[in-house]
Amino acid sequence: MTTTVSISPLTRIEGHLAIHTASESLPDQKGVRITEARCEGEMFRGFETILSGRDPLDAQQITQRICGVCPISHGMASLTAQEMAYGVTPTRNGRLGQNLVFAANYLQSHILHFYHLAALDFVDITAVLKYNGNDPLLKSLRAWVETAVAQNQIFAGAPFLPRYEVNQYIASDDANWQLIGHYVEALNLRTIAHEMAAVFGAKLPHSTALVPTGITGRITMERILAYKSRLTKLTDFVNNVYLPDLLTAAKAFPNYWAIGVSYPNYLSFGAFRMEEATGERVRTFIPGGVVINGRYQTLDTGKIGEYVGHSHYSSRSGLHPFEGQTTPDTGKGYSWLKTPRYDNQVMEVGPLARVMAAYYAPGGEFFKNEVDAVLASVNLTPDKLNSVLGRHLARGLEAKWIAQQAGRWLDELVPGEPAAKKFAIPKTGRGFGLVEAPRGALGHWLTIEEHKIGRYQCIVPTTWNCSPRDDAGRPGAVEKALEGTHIADPAQPIEAGRVVRSFDPCIACAVH
Amino acid sequence: MKTAFSRRDFMKLAGMLTASAALPKHLTEVFAAGLERLAESTRVVWLQGQSCSGESISLLNSIDPNPADLLTRYITLVIHQNIGAAQGQTFMDTLDKARLTKDYILVVEGSIPLNMPKACIIGGRTFEAILLEMIPDAKAIVAAGTCAAFGGIPAAEGNPTGSAGVKDFMEHHHLSWRGKLINCPSCPTHPMSIVGTLAYLAAGRFPEIDETLLTPKMCYHHSTHDQCPRYHDFERKIFAEHFGQPDGCLFKLGCLGPLTHTECPHRQWNSGVNWCIRASAPCIGCSWQDFCRKKDFPLYRIGEASHAVSYTEHDRSGGTL
Repeated sequence: MTTTVSISPLTRIEGHLAIHTASESLPDQKGVRITEARCEGEMFRGFETILSGRDPLDAQQITQRICGVCPISHGMASLTAQEMAYGVTPTRNGRLGQNLVFAANYLQSHILHFYHLAALDFVDITAVLKYNGNDPLLKSLRAWVETAVAQNQIFAGAPFLPRYEVNQYIASDDANWQLIGHYVEALNLRTIAHEMAAVFGAKLPHSTALVPTGITGRITMERILAYKSRLTKLTDFVNNVYLPDLLTAAKAFPNYWAIGVSYPNYLSFGAFRMEEATGERVRTFIPGGVVINGRYQTLDTGKIGEYVGHSHYSSRSGLHPFEGQTTPDTGKGYSWLKTPRYDNQVMEVGPLARVMAAYYAPGGEFFKNEVDAVLASVNLTPDKLNSVLGRHLARGLEAKWIAQQAGRWLDELVPGEPAAKKFAIPKTGRGFGLVEAPRGALGHWLTIEEHKIGRYQCIVPTTWNCSPRDDAGRPGAVEKALEGTHIADPAQPIEAGRVVRSFDPCIACAVH
Repeated sequence: MKTAFSRRDFMKLAGMLTASAALPKHLTEVFAAGLERLAESTRVVWLQGQSCSGESISLLNSIDPNPADLLTRYITLVIHQNIGAAQGQTFMDTLDKARLTKDYILVVEGSIPLNMPKACIIGGRTFEAILLEMIPDAKAIVAAGTCAAFGGIPAAEGNPTGSAGVKDFMEHHHLSWRGKLINCPSCPTHPMSIVGTLAYLAAGRFPEIDETLLTPKMCYHHSTHDQCPRYHDFERKIFAEHFGQPDGCLFKLGCLGPLTHTECPHRQWNSGVNWCIRASAPCIGCSWQDFCRKKDFPLYRIGEASHAVSYTEHDRSGGTL
C-alpha cells in the first residue's frame, strides 16, 4: 500500500518549498517508510533575465537581493566574478574586510538555522509551562503562555504553537528549559553578528559596502574594536552554548546519526580567500574540492552542467553556466529549481560537504584533526556524518573555526591602508566567482558585452541540494536523503522536516 | 571624471533640498506611546510572496523592542513562514483560522507575480489566491520592503513574471487600498519602520501617510541627501572619485541620496553601528519607488557603461521614471 506523506509548505526554512513523498506501510511497525520523494521549489523571480543588459556593477547589489539570509554570499560571488572579468584583484585590507563581513554573516546564518529554524523540531516548547526555577526569562515566558491559555486566546503561544503534536520532542525538562533559554539568547547573538557584519559592510541584510577590489569604508582602529568586542561574545556563545547544545540534541536523538543519509558525494569551492586572487585555484581558509565515495579530486568547474528535464524551464538541458539559459515554462516539470550536476554526478553541498572536502584535501590536517576529535568524543566514524546530526555538527564546528579565524583577519588589517582601489569596466569580458555560502557552493558566471552584462548565471547551494530529478531520473540530494525515512504519523511527518532542514534549504536562493 | 551633472545643477539641487530639511523627532519616542497601548493580542499574519526573507531577517534586528519582547509582549505573530512552528497542513489550517477571526493585520513581504501566478505557491495554492482571501478581512495591510510596496527587483525591466507590489495587485483586482494599505519600503525595510507602523496600527491608529507613495511620513518624509552628514562636502565640492577613497560627498560615485526618502542618517542600521554613507558606500536608493527598475539607470556612475546617465529635474523631485 502506498500512502502519501507531504509537508506543503515546508516552513522554517528560507522560501517556498513543498515535499511530497510516496511511502509504504510497515507490517511490524507503526507508521510508514518513505520510498520516493520530490522536492518542489515554488517561487521564481527571474534574476538572470533581469540582470542581462545592466551595468555589471549593479550585479553585486542586485544579486544580494536573491537572499536576505545570505546576501553577502551573492555579493561576494558577484564581485569576484567581476574582479576576474575586469582583470583586477582586491587590496589586502579589501580582501580581509570582505572576509570579515562574510564571516559575520556566516555566524548570523548558522545561529539562526540551529536555534530559530531547526530547533523547534526537537525542543518541546510547552515544557516552559512546567518551569519551576528562578530564571527571569523562563519565568516570563511561562507567564506569557499561561496568560494566553487562561484568557482562552485562539493563538496562545504563537508563533511557537501550533506545531506537530507528536510524542517525539526532547523528554527531559531540564534540556528543554536550557534550549528554550538559548533560543532567546540566540536571537540577541544573531543580531550582534549582523552588527558585526555592518561594521565593515555598512548595513545588513544587503550590504552596500561590498565592491570589487574590497569594501568602501575606511579601516580604523575604532571599527576593528567594534568588530572585536562583538566577536568575543559570539565566540563564547559558539563554543560554550551552540556546540554543547548540538551535543545535547544529538544525545536525545542518537538515531539521527543514521537518518537523512544521502549520496556520499560532496562539492566545496573552498571558503574565504587567503590571497588577493580570483579563479578556481585560489587558496582558501577552508580548502575546497570534490569528494566522491571518500575519494578526493581537485575541482574542475568545466564539469558543471545544469539540467532542466524536471524543471519549469524549456531552455536546453545540461548547459555549462557560461552558456546557461532560463526560459520559464510552467507546463512542464515539478520544480522551479534546475538540476546542477558535477561530472554528471549528484552532489551534496553545504557545511557537511565543506567539512568532508577539507577532511580529505591536501593541507586540511587542522580540519581533519578537529573532526576526528569530535567524532571520537561521540564514538563515531566519519561516514556517520552523512546524516541529519552530521550536517548539524558540521555547521557548528565550522562556526567555531570561522569565529577563530575572523580574529586573525582582524589582526591582519592595517588601519589607514586602502580597502579598495580604482578599476574600470572593460568593453567585453567574462568571469566567474566561486564562494562558499553558509548553505554551500555558490557560483556566479558573468559575461560583459559593450560594457553591459551579456549573460549572468548563478548556481546556488540549495539548487544542488534540493534539485529535482536529473534527466537520467536520479533524485537530488535531499530527495535521496528522504528515502527510507520512517514516519510514525503520516499526517504529521516531523521526521521528514528534520531531514530536509538539516540541509538548511534556501529556496529564494535556489531558484532566484 | 566626466559627469553629466554640472555645478549649476548642484547649486539648484542644494537650494531645493535644504528648503525641506527638518530633523524628525527621535522615532522611538513616537513609537513608545503606541507600543504601551498595544492590545495583548494584536494579531499579525505575515506572508511572503516573491521575497528574499530580508524584511523578516531585518525585523529580527529590531532593538526597541527586541524580537523576543516584540513577539511575547506586543503582537501575536500568528503566521510566519521562517520562524513559526507550524508547517504543512498545520500551517494552512492556522492561516485559515486566522482569516476566520477577521481580526488581524496582514503584513506582505515580497511582490506578486501578476502574469504568472504559478511563480509563487504556498501549500499548493497560488500566493495570488491566498492574498485575495486574506486581504478583504484584514484590518490593515502593511507592504514590507520595496518589493511589496512598489514591485522592486522582481518587477524590474525584463522580468519574466509580471511582478507587482501590493497596491498594484489590489488595483488589478479592483480592491480598495485607501485607508487600509501602508507601504514600508527600503531593501530591506528598516526594523523601526515596521515596528513603528505596527505600533500605530495595534494602538488603533493609522499613521499619517504620503498620498501617492502610501509611506508613513514619520519614516520616509525627508530626503537622505537633506540629512546627509556629508552635505558639507557636497557644498564645498569635495567629492570621492572612486571606491576606496573614504572621504567626500559620494555623488560622483552615483549616490542616489537626493532621490531617496528615509531616516537612515538618523537611525542608521544594525543598532546604529553603521549605515551606507558612514561606510563611504553610495546610497543606492533602495527605498525609492523605482529602485533598480530600469536597465539603463545604473546604481553607480563609475565606468564606461554609466556615462550616458544624467539626472533630470523630474528625477530630482523624486518622480517616477
